[in-house]
Amino acid sequence: MKMGTALNLVLILLLLTTALLAVTARDLLAAVVVFSVYSLIMALMWQRLQAPDLALTEAAVGAGVTTVLFVITIFKTRRREEE
Amino acid sequence: MKKVAALLFISALAVLLLYVVASMPPMGDPDNPTATHVIPRYLERAEEETHTVNVVTGVILNYRGYDTMGEVTVIFCALAAVLAVLGRERRGVIHGFVDRSEVPASVIVKTMVRFMVPFIILFSVYTILHGETSPGGGFQGGAVIGGSMIIFTTIFGLYESSRRIPLKVRAPLEGAAVMGFFLVGSLGLVGGGNFLTYAWPRVAQGLHPSLVVWLTVLVEVGIGLGGAMVLTSILFAMIREEEEIAPAS
Repeated sequence: MKMGTALNLVLILLLLTTALLAVTARDLLAAVVVFSVYSLIMALMWQRLQAPDLALTEAAVGAGVTTVLFVITIFKTRRREEE
Repeated sequence: MKKVAALLFISALAVLLLYVVASMPPMGDPDNPTATHVIPRYLERAEEETHTVNVVTGVILNYRGYDTMGEVTVIFCALAAVLAVLGRERRGVIHGFVDRSEVPASVIVKTMVRFMVPFIILFSVYTILHGETSPGGGFQGGAVIGGSMIIFTTIFGLYESSRRIPLKVRAPLEGAAVMGFFLVGSLGLVGGGNFLTYAWPRVAQGLHPSLVVWLTVLVEVGIGLGGAMVLTSILFAMIREEEEIAPAS
């Protein structure tokens, strides 16, 4: 297997894992942190797909700004999801 | 019963989607439908038609200028919606829950942030101004400026942050993206061309082609400033608290 293909596979596996964790986590703060990791991996994916513009946007908006906005919202509401 | 029905529905959907994915053309194939219609024209003629070296910027700001103007308007509408729900501060200093945090930021963190923020802003200015030659542009640079504002606000508090970017600076700049785009786009109409074209057939024919580049950079700067201020205003509106709380230090 080539180096690039292996890296793609690892990234896709991490992407799926973080997406599932972000959906299933009951602790909303943990879900937000995992979602930020998801965005960062997605930025790496955009870079691997040769879309540096999108990678920049994803890293700045997805991993940076929305995470903080989510954390502020959690701070102002409740941290745990209801059963 | 409900769960079984949901499982069946999702399985059917998965089979359908996987079937469609399997019949999609292979990625990166030059014979793909996406690569045979408008893409060759963009790649071959973007530089002479839009005068931007970065084809992505040429497509975003010139060929698909209407889309980008709509996106910019959407961002502005998002800010309007947030302010309609959370309210805008009255003139003067504002406070938020970051100011009365029980765990004050340590000296190391404060020094690091004070050291980093100018460089982050420098990077975003580079991203905005070099949008027509390298990856990036107004949106990305604006988001990075917004990120630096977020770092500063979370460490030093809303009081310090809102003193540095007061309302009277933010409010006029929030519309900079939409206004800048619209005004520069209308210049194309005045020059006898189409809306949102920077190359005016009648007026600009004899002018230096770098004028088009400067107009593109002007739109980029407008989008960057507007985006940054919109993000900052949304952040301030979300952190702000009504009652007056004295800052910790």
